[in-house]
Order: sequence, then structure tokens, then C-alpha cells
Amino acid sequence: MPLVMDPAEHEIITLLKAAQWDGRRVIEIGCGDGRLTLRIAALAPKLIEALDPDAARVRLARKNLPARYRKRVSYHVGHSNKLRYPGGVFDIAIFAWSL
Amino acid sequence: MVHALSEAHRVLKPDGLLIDLRPAPAHRRLGIGQGRSWQLVGPLHEVLDDDHAADAAVARVVRDGLFRLEKRFQFTLDRVMDNPDEVRDFIADFDQRRSLPPHTDLLERLERKYARLRKPSKISVRGPMHLAVLRKL
Repeated sequence: MPLVMDPAEHEIITLLKAAQWDGRRVIEIGCGDGRLTLRIAALAPKLIEALDPDAARVRLARKNLPARYRKRVSYHVGHSNKLRYPGGVFDIAIFAWSL
Repeated sequence: MVHALSEAHRVLKPDGLLIDLRPAPAHRRLGIGQGRSWQLVGPLHEVLDDDHAADAAVARVVRDGLFRLEKRFQFTLDRVMDNPDEVRDFIADFDQRRSLPPHTDLLERLERKYARLRKPSKISVRGPMHLAVLRKL
């Protein structure tokens, strides 16, 4: 079996303690291959805009996105220094392993 | 990093939350076992400059009045592997991404300890994680 990340799920347990996610508009800055995006998606946010500067990782994240999340989660190639969104639109911005 | 945090501030609603989740600035450790049955083999030697720079950037945007620190958490995160070959691949990638000298001695120590086990065991890289919640001001 390949590497298993955080089998005890401490990361998602802590994210649950950190904020109210359900119904929130979330931007994930530096989503990589979308590993954490999927964990956050399970917390029922209204939407997740997830971006990463690495196009290959974004392609992989899109490929791994389960159908049940396709209406709420979208992946984009983008850089943290220039976010292509208007001001004041997200409830939560998360830098996960990316700052 | 400060610019990226300022961009996050811009796209957040008033009162929105910024979450900063990343490894704490500490050397991760390699051990045999997982969970409570974990025995240290040795530390991975890392360059922590980027972690300290991220801490400084967050401190700066707080000082500049963009955000207020609301909560801080720490927890342990394990990456669990099945055998020394998987660890070797993981550490080779880890060293290459961070431009580190290879962890040859650590891998040899792991293989010696692993060979002495009576039955196969998982191997984990364990490290402290940091999560900060900041409120947009």
C-alpha cells in the first residue's frame, strides 16, 4: 500500500475545530493535487475555489475529483500573489501547506 | 508571502477567516510503528528558513492591522509507509524537493532496526503541524 497521510485524521479534526465550514464560500490557495480539498469538501462548504500554480497538479486534482463534489469544487491554475476574484467574496481563505 | 496574505485579505468578506495550516518549524522524525506504538529511529534534517519566513509574514500582517489572531492549534501528523523501500522513495523525493543532502545514515539505521523486527511493521514520518485562525479586520 502506498504512503498514507494522517491516518488518525488529526488534520481534518483540527480544521473542524478551527472554523464553521458548512455553507461557507472557501478559497484554497495552494491546493496541490487536491488531497486536502477533498477533506474540506466533506465538511459541506457552499463552494471551494481551489488554485495552484502547478498546472500538472491541478490536472491531477481535477481527475481525482469525485462526481459528488463537481458542482461545489473547482480547480484553477493560479498564483497566490494575484487572485483573479473580486474583493470580499469568500468567507474562508486557507493556505494549506502553501504559505 | 506578505503580498499573498494581502491578496487573501482582499478577497475575504468583512469578518472572514484566514486559515494558515502548515508544518511547524521543527525537524520531522522517522520512526518504526504508528500511533502510540512508535519508536524513534532519528530526525530528518531540514532547512527551516521558509517556515520562519512564513511566521514572520503572518506576524507582519497582524502587526499591520489586516488580521487578528483568533485561535492557534498544534497537532501531530504521521505519514505512514509499509516498508523501508517506500521510505527510501519518500525521503529521496523529500531531499530533492528541499535541496537537502541525502539522509543516507538515517535510512541505513532504519534498515538495520527494521531487519531486527520479528514481524513487519509500519514506518512513519512524524511531525508537528501548526494551524492558525486569523480574522479579517
